[in-house]
Amino acid sequence: MAGEMMTGNLAAAWGARLAGVDYIPAFPITPQTEIVEALAEWCDCGAMPARFVMMDSEHSMMTAAGAGAATGARVFTATSSQGLLHAFEVLYSVAGWRVPLVLVNVSRALAAPITLEPDHNDVLAARDAGFLQIHAETCQEVLDSILMAYRIAEDERVMLPVLVNLDGFYLSFTREPVIVPDPEKVAAFLPPFRPAHLGFKASAPHALGVAVLGGTPYTYFRHQMHLAAMNALQVHREAAADFERLFGRRYDVVEGYRLDDAEDVLVMSNAFATKGRAAVDAARAKGRRVGLLRLRVIRPWPAEAIVAALRGRRAVGVLDQNLAPGLGGILVQEIAATLYHDPERPKAICSFIGGLGGKNIHEGEFDAIVARMEQAGKAGRGEGPVLLYTEAEHREMAQLQVLASASRADR
Amino acid sequence: MRSIRFHGRGGQGAKTASRIVGTAAFLEGLTAQDSPLYGAERRGAPVSASTRIGREPIRERGLILQPDLIIIADESLIDDSSARVLDGLSERTAVFVNTALGSEQARDRFRIPGRVTALDLTDMTLRQFGKPVALSAPLGAVACRLLGLKAESLRAAVAGELADLGLPEAVIERNLALAASCYESVPLVPVEETAGAMPAPVPLWTPVYEPPTVGSARISASANSPLHETGGWRTFRPVLVPDKCNGCWLCFVYCPDGVISMTKDDLPLIDYDHCKGCQICVQECPTKALVAEREQEGAGTWRAK
Ligand code: SF4
Ligand code: SF4
Repeated sequence: MAGEMMTGNLAAAWGARLAGVDYIPAFPITPQTEIVEALAEWCDCGAMPARFVMMDSEHSMMTAAGAGAATGARVFTATSSQGLLHAFEVLYSVAGWRVPLVLVNVSRALAAPITLEPDHNDVLAARDAGFLQIHAETCQEVLDSILMAYRIAEDERVMLPVLVNLDGFYLSFTREPVIVPDPEKVAAFLPPFRPAHLGFKASAPHALGVAVLGGTPYTYFRHQMHLAAMNALQVHREAAADFERLFGRRYDVVEGYRLDDAEDVLVMSNAFATKGRAAVDAARAKGRRVGLLRLRVIRPWPAEAIVAALRGRRAVGVLDQNLAPGLGGILVQEIAATLYHDPERPKAICSFIGGLGGKNIHEGEFDAIVARMEQAGKAGRGEGPVLLYTEAEHREMAQLQVLASASRADR
Repeated sequence: MRSIRFHGRGGQGAKTASRIVGTAAFLEGLTAQDSPLYGAERRGAPVSASTRIGREPIRERGLILQPDLIIIADESLIDDSSARVLDGLSERTAVFVNTALGSEQARDRFRIPGRVTALDLTDMTLRQFGKPVALSAPLGAVACRLLGLKAESLRAAVAGELADLGLPEAVIERNLALAASCYESVPLVPVEETAGAMPAPVPLWTPVYEPPTVGSARISASANSPLHETGGWRTFRPVLVPDKCNGCWLCFVYCPDGVISMTKDDLPLIDYDHCKGCQICVQECPTKALVAEREQEGAGTWRAK
């Protein structure tokens, strides 16, 4: 394969570099740090003409990013996990200002307890902020999605910030071949940012995001954000077509794998979808008609594409790499609601929770998923949430608890 | 049901007045509901509060759009379009204005189409307390009287609400006396009951996407704090008596709006375009070198540039 070996983090930095960003307010956090380091170095040595500023926290970082974008600059920043949550308050402001910046999130499970490996409770917590969300499966897709993200964000029909998500460790520090697109072609795909309406500047005092104090203007502006996000579906289609023409790689809002004659379909997102594909191949080898649907764009919610891909299937299994305590999986709820209005909806929807905190999903677990989907499809009744957690893992856990209790201070 | 909307400036007591009326009605066995509405800026900014009283369960919430009675704590609010004091006013709405003008004069001066009654509550309060304090008891008293609530209910409500605010007994006593005299002095205009008309169904409207120039919440208030003058919020202005000032800088430290600067001779200099009249400097000054004067009568009247 052509290209060069590159981590997902470096691919993200390359995305920002090729997009020709003007301003990068930054704050490091594991496992995102490498992105910030690469950009700092490039700005320092003159490889990138952008202004790089180290901020004191993610909260200031996001504020600076929003204000910078409101001047009409092309802005890039990145964070992860607790950092995203620290910036959370500002996410809603920035989206409400309708400034088209790009924020990369390197998914990492949220404390407590602390782990550095990923699940998606961080990024999904932000799904209603007004940011669009693209979730990448490969390092190449990380880079490409950043270019597409600017193209979509800066379109007059959209003008919303975009979050590009990649999984910590499974992509952030994983090297795989990445083709760095030709800068001239990138310039053709992503023309310079010339916003018609952004012109925030120090010399002309102007209140941004002032209080409207009243539900009527609030409703109007919030609904405009919704319409803008829905417009992004069409803009994504156009951007994807241009991207394919120039670079030969195609990205849709959802991606199907061996769906054509599939009876049962596994729905996944992000880096573990690669393992999902392998599981589909394994099940196919055993004669099972299974396929995979990967959710790539989570906001706007690609309802039509999901219905089209899942219509008439026997069973659907949604693997949520997140856990909403007191509910179960997050994405399965959105999938179920989306399918409900379709008269040819699948007979059964199963919910699986796995890969929490980066926990591996073994081949055997995928086997179990396929078997349970088949069972549910035959019975015409879904199940879940089913936790992907094995007996062997539980034995390991019990040992850890013995160790922990032996070292407890209170005994 | 009857609905009463109070308008005042933050700190004048409109919110507490609305609670006094709610409590008084409640004590008489009526159903009652009261709620304030205010913005980000506090003291001096336009504030409103709504009270509903009736015999039946109250099935409304929030700001009163078509009031039966409007109580205006500060006449300067009538000219302030952001305060929207006369919104929803009709011929049958009763309006009370706290002003030195008589009822007739007030109606003409402020061009109020409804039935207007007036009383100088600020003056009565100053005579009782000798300094500018909140008007909650007088405003509540006037509203109770116009609504036909009993004097004992008013008394119990004022005592209860002011005790909740932590005011000392002696101060509450003086407020009770003040409330009683306002209750007696207000010219009576009966407040009519709202007729319960069945609302017509409203056609729904879904806005279409508009370009970001229109559809983004970039309200072009092309200003910032220095450009936005708040001098009109004042009922009382702090005035310096220079020979009493010892140059301690305390007023400078305490002014919440940062509008006091110190000269090189350590004398405070007040920016009256932005002083909102909260009187914190007056209270904090250890030598009483800052005094509060009525805006219209004393040191002069502020005019926006
Ligand atoms: S100068 Fe005094 S009255 Fe004016 S805003 Fe400051 S503290 Fe309040
Ligand atoms: S607090 Fe009073 S004494 Fe102190 S500087 Fe201000 S005016 Fe003068």
